[in-house]
Amino acid sequence: MNRLQEVTWKGKVPLAEGLPASPRIRAPQKRINLAQVTWFRPLLLSRWPQFLIRCLTLAGSVFTIFAGLFGSPVGSHNFAIIFVWIAWWTALKLAFIPLGGRSWCSVCPIPLPGEWLQQGGTLEKRRHRFSLNLRWPKRLRGSWLQSSGFLLIGLFSAVTMTDARVTAWVLLGLFGLAIGLSLTFERRAFCSYLCPIGGFSGIYAKTAPPEVRVVDASICVSHREKTCYLNCPWGLYPLALRDSSQCGLCLECLRSCPQDNIAINLRPFGSDLGWSRQSGRLDDAFLALVMLGSALAFATVFTGPWGSLKSAAFAIGSPPWGLYALGFLAFNLTLMPGLFSLAVWMGSRWSGQKTQLRRAIGNQSQVLLPLGLFAWIAFTISFAFPKLNTVLSVLSDPLGWGWNLLGIANTPWSPDLSGISSILQVSILLAGLFWSASVAQRLVKASDRGSLRQALPILAFCFLFTLAMFWLLVG
Amino acid sequence: MMHKSLCRGIPGWRWIVLASLALLITVLPIPANAKAPQARTFHVQASRFSYRPAVLTANPGDRVTIELKATDVVHGLAIDGYNLETTSDPGQTARLTFVADRRGSFRFRCTVTCGNMHPFMIGRLQVGRNDLLWRAAGLAILAAAAGVWKERK
Amino acid sequence: MSKEWLARSIVIVLAVGAIAIPAVASWGRRHGIEIHARMAETGGWTPESLTAVVGVPLRLRLTSDDVIHGFAIGQTDLPVVDVIPGEFSEVTYTFDRPGKYTFYCTRWCGINHWRMRGAIVVSGPGTKPDIARPPLYVSLGLEIDARNPADVVPVQKPSSARGAWLGATIPAAYLSRDYYLAHSPLELWKALRDEPNLRNFSDQDIWDLAALVWKSNATPQELKTGQQLYATNCAACHGESGAGDGVFADQLDRPKSGEHAEMRAGEMTTRPAGFTAPQSMLSASPAQLQGKIIRGGMGTGMPYWGPIFTEEQTWALVAHLWTFQFDLEDRP
Repeated sequence: MNRLQEVTWKGKVPLAEGLPASPRIRAPQKRINLAQVTWFRPLLLSRWPQFLIRCLTLAGSVFTIFAGLFGSPVGSHNFAIIFVWIAWWTALKLAFIPLGGRSWCSVCPIPLPGEWLQQGGTLEKRRHRFSLNLRWPKRLRGSWLQSSGFLLIGLFSAVTMTDARVTAWVLLGLFGLAIGLSLTFERRAFCSYLCPIGGFSGIYAKTAPPEVRVVDASICVSHREKTCYLNCPWGLYPLALRDSSQCGLCLECLRSCPQDNIAINLRPFGSDLGWSRQSGRLDDAFLALVMLGSALAFATVFTGPWGSLKSAAFAIGSPPWGLYALGFLAFNLTLMPGLFSLAVWMGSRWSGQKTQLRRAIGNQSQVLLPLGLFAWIAFTISFAFPKLNTVLSVLSDPLGWGWNLLGIANTPWSPDLSGISSILQVSILLAGLFWSASVAQRLVKASDRGSLRQALPILAFCFLFTLAMFWLLVG
Repeated sequence: MMHKSLCRGIPGWRWIVLASLALLITVLPIPANAKAPQARTFHVQASRFSYRPAVLTANPGDRVTIELKATDVVHGLAIDGYNLETTSDPGQTARLTFVADRRGSFRFRCTVTCGNMHPFMIGRLQVGRNDLLWRAAGLAILAAAAGVWKERK
Repeated sequence: MSKEWLARSIVIVLAVGAIAIPAVASWGRRHGIEIHARMAETGGWTPESLTAVVGVPLRLRLTSDDVIHGFAIGQTDLPVVDVIPGEFSEVTYTFDRPGKYTFYCTRWCGINHWRMRGAIVVSGPGTKPDIARPPLYVSLGLEIDARNPADVVPVQKPSSARGAWLGATIPAAYLSRDYYLAHSPLELWKALRDEPNLRNFSDQDIWDLAALVWKSNATPQELKTGQQLYATNCAACHGESGAGDGVFADQLDRPKSGEHAEMRAGEMTTRPAGFTAPQSMLSASPAQLQGKIIRGGMGTGMPYWGPIFTEEQTWALVAHLWTFQFDLEDRP
């Protein structure tokens, strides 16, 4: 994908690089093309619905920043804390990502001001545009920065998630960063290379139903202007789109294709996982491992009974925090990647595979995607369920100023969902393990001399991870 | 030999075996090593933001008393699954007495806002063996096997 | 062209509305003075001083920015209210006499909880409460910081019930309230020991009689009040068992000299006193204890409760302190 982004299009057609011409070769399963659903189509083609939703999320962000800066410092009574770290985070992990892949990116307000400056208009592109439109440096491409961003979040999360002022400043910072990057670089540079949310939404988007593909490749071949590529804010070329991790579902390609050849498909879950031909990138593998490691770390620090860890994570700048940071980074930078690489290497050796270890790691990291997705869903349930009653009460008094807009400002202690919550978490983790195992087996079948021996060490890794999550969440 | 061909005759025999095993693991009552219930007292100190001790272990049927002693600000303690709650001001130890009739692992949390990390002030009450954990581990083996078998064809 | 302007107006209306609506709504209802409570280390009460007029209701809206606090006004029986993080408690006070009132925090919020105080200056007609009446220990000329340990101590905890069974006749001079206030149990014991008609009783019996005298000076209601006051105000440092082992005791126990001494004025503290040792308690008189409570400790970290407790409350607390030394139950 990165190589394609470098080619300049002046009527050239990308058919080389050994990629299959038609995506239909590998899509025997059914897909539902949302762009052809009669009542839904106008909602996708018109800019207004998406624009209006984004305006609402932007207004929500403005209010969140206001609440964070001027509302009560008490987290449970501040809209900023509850709505960012409980309501939005839960919606992201339980709905947006598993069901919609990178769907949050399609309605995210953070790049919006920058986009307006870049395209010179609020709704559509206009004449006077403000941006240097530099190309993103080659060295910084890929998801390395996004993984680092997520690790940074992990180091400061104890304070960020509990202090309303800090949450507001982080949001302001993200807006500022996005605007700055939009004025400097072309397209949605922040979203593609920096945003940690975009990073993990992207890798998990490979497991989710939505995908943007072309309907008939032969039409694209004869089309000279390639308006889809020219209009894509993510710098993608729809004809060559093989996985959904880079596509932010902005639908500009759909709107600009003169032949109506772009499809917004809903595919069965995980139908794109398990094919060796997937470009197995090391940066995505690392991100997948960071997500797993972070799930374990967050579960240990936040939902575990070890108070000294929590105090260490909270006292930023102190020696205990330094130790915590060191441990967190060592775990995520050496232990998890090391163990996984070992598992991949053992699998390769046992089954007599001849692939380079680097490629094998990149390839096999697909197995970690369902595991990580479901681990994060389970973890989100474990910490958000006990606090769901605050979502309602904070709607009644968002700033902690003593309002009672909906009459429910002081909801009594919420019903005890702990029994259901534990069973739910266990079921979700089991589903993730089941799915990951099936992806591992698919990879075995797709490789040259595949045998179960290739997958066994990796399955052991996934099994141990699942056991660890069980013990941390319900043990 | 005959056994093998018999099994192969039933379509989807693997799934039937798996499902039966899963059912067994989920509902089979594991015999408890019955220890005589006794009275236990736990002296729990609460500070910002931890309980000491944070992990309390008891046997099913024990008469458990938790003496909550707040050491800096007002703290509370509520046990998930038992629906019990108490609050302690520094200088006023609170007592919670109950019979640990439910088995498993239950988290207890602070119920009085005591600062930033209050939502994460958590401890754990372990009553008997955590059956959920063992069953989950068994089911995990089955889940991995099922995932592999699903793609065998 | 018009599409673009419509789009821009929508953005502006929504974004501005997001801020304007809460800003406007907050101007709507502003009844009362808003007071924010924080732990003493991070600010205490904001604002710290208020003014009021006699007879004019003072409406307060109280909220906490960190942990749970409480609000009460010292030396009055005006209602006490909890100040809850993120929520507002509304309370209205009406003063009938002018003067300077101290308000204070009533829920322990850290080691410096007692320093969370503020002032309400009430002006207007009426007589101010009499100020400069000196506390009893001053008028009696008693030293409240000196430590002269008791040279005679009981073998077991003296019990007023046992004292009652003895059926002794105690001279009336020792039964008056004034005697109780000005003398320590040790002084009473020595005086009773010298009484001719009590010569046949043992030393322990005399202690039981002393306990009986002490009990006669405290009503059950007073003891109950004292116990409640002790639990909410004193136990955190002095311990629930009165042994000087409260939850803050270790933090307060700072060495007076040496490398780690913190000699900044006002920050020196010592381990809280225990009330369970007969040597120290039995040689103190109620007046001395009351003085200590009112004035606080000079460089010991003991709060001064003068502006907070009424005189009745202080004596009730003193009465309770004696229960660490004497068994004042009706049945032992």
